[in-house]
Amino acid sequence: MQDSLVEAMKQWTYKGVPENPSAWLFKVAKNKALNVINREKYKRQYSSDVVHYMRSEWTAEPAMNHLFSEKEILDDQLRMMFTCCHPSISKDSQVALTLKTLCGFSIPEIAKGFLTTEENIKKRLVRARQKIRENKIPFEVPGGKDLDARLEAVLETIYLLFNEGYSASHGNDVVRYQLCEEAIRLSEIIASHESLNDKFNVYAILSLMYLNASRFKARTDNKGRILTMAEQDRSLWDGLLMQRGFFYLEKTTTVENISVYQILAAISAHHCAAADFESTDWKGILSLYGSLVRIDHSPVVLLNRAIAVSKVFGVSQALDELEKIKDDPTMASYHLFYSTMAEFYTQTNQFQKARNCLQKAIDLSSLEAEKDLLTEKLRACINK
Amino acid sequence: MSLRHNKNLKTMQDFLLIIRTEGDVWTSLSPEKLQEHIEKGTDYIGKLMKDGKLKSAAPLANSSRIVSESNGLIKDGPFNETKEVIAGYFHITARDIDEAVDIAKANPIFKDIPTKIEVHLMRAIGG
Repeated sequence: MQDSLVEAMKQWTYKGVPENPSAWLFKVAKNKALNVINREKYKRQYSSDVVHYMRSEWTAEPAMNHLFSEKEILDDQLRMMFTCCHPSISKDSQVALTLKTLCGFSIPEIAKGFLTTEENIKKRLVRARQKIRENKIPFEVPGGKDLDARLEAVLETIYLLFNEGYSASHGNDVVRYQLCEEAIRLSEIIASHESLNDKFNVYAILSLMYLNASRFKARTDNKGRILTMAEQDRSLWDGLLMQRGFFYLEKTTTVENISVYQILAAISAHHCAAADFESTDWKGILSLYGSLVRIDHSPVVLLNRAIAVSKVFGVSQALDELEKIKDDPTMASYHLFYSTMAEFYTQTNQFQKARNCLQKAIDLSSLEAEKDLLTEKLRACINK
Repeated sequence: MSLRHNKNLKTMQDFLLIIRTEGDVWTSLSPEKLQEHIEKGTDYIGKLMKDGKLKSAAPLANSSRIVSESNGLIKDGPFNETKEVIAGYFHITARDIDEAVDIAKANPIFKDIPTKIEVHLMRAIGG
């Protein structure tokens, strides 16, 4: 009734006193109650009790203990993840929002990580918050049938975040490594959560990220030049991260299931397990690519598969494979397609063709360190 | 955060638990004993909270007064002349008075301090 009085006062000042104040008050009270019920339905689960508990000497401490217990914090983070990665929010905004709210990154740091302006990041965050409001996205982990689809979206965002950090395309190394660490940390939170039954893909993505991250520091030399897998000093690979990667890969094998993340993790594991580039189990890798192609028949997968083909069946067969995808628009503008072609041409002493491909790769590459690497190769090719 | 009330709201009833002790008992506890007493109390209240059974609880300050009417005059005076004081209250929800009594019995205060807990069913609308 208090509420309806306040409402009435507001209305009366603007519109004058209605003819039948008490009937009107009753109607307002009813509408208010309905509003409250509707609001409750979507309310974030921050209970109003908490405020109340905090005011009493007997309940403040237990309430604090409860709220700050590790489990509660983890639960909250998980809920927050599902809110940040809601499908109605664009992927760009999801990643920005996750970094801001869950990883505590500042706007300048996020801008640095994505090589974009702070203004741009602010816009993404505003748009994300708008979506949360407009769609009344509840602060919760979805249940039942929704969970699988939503978990997939969360993992996709996490993987995007990881790759932002892992891909050598741009940005500051320290910040990029942090992005990788955060992606792993968020996945660990999901993995540790009791209420999720099917964690197959969570384990798979964790395995993939740990195994790839284990090579992070070996991917450039001390001058910042990018090193290929063949050139990397394997003693710099991080054994501890690798171990975690193998641990999670093992966990994915206990269920009869298969996913892109799992196959990619298994391929990464083959690289990690090899003493050097040449002794890599290329047959094993090729057969994994076979499984991967059946799920994801994209030219990028076929390009990577070609490297394994070259090791198992020889370079000329690998070149044939690449011929098949050379007209694909993604490949025609992809520097790694041309640098791979160039590598194959060099190995078969077709230096003119190799030079042409290297030139295209240099033109298409956007990263200085990569251009330098390719230019060096081009120079070596000219002398032959 | 999940400090939620019990889901079976329909079958739950509200109870007022009044904790009666004697005024100076706290000072008779050693600092260690007092600390232990507080910790046990915190656990007890924390559990009620987690189970969604606690609506609120608070200790009372010892500045209570009582307002009464006598010969058409409404006067106020000190709360009581005896040693007994109301230490505080719990507002809880329980299925029935037996559960409310069990909750009261589990209060660790009984182990340290001479205590009586009154268990009152609060009448709900239409109840």
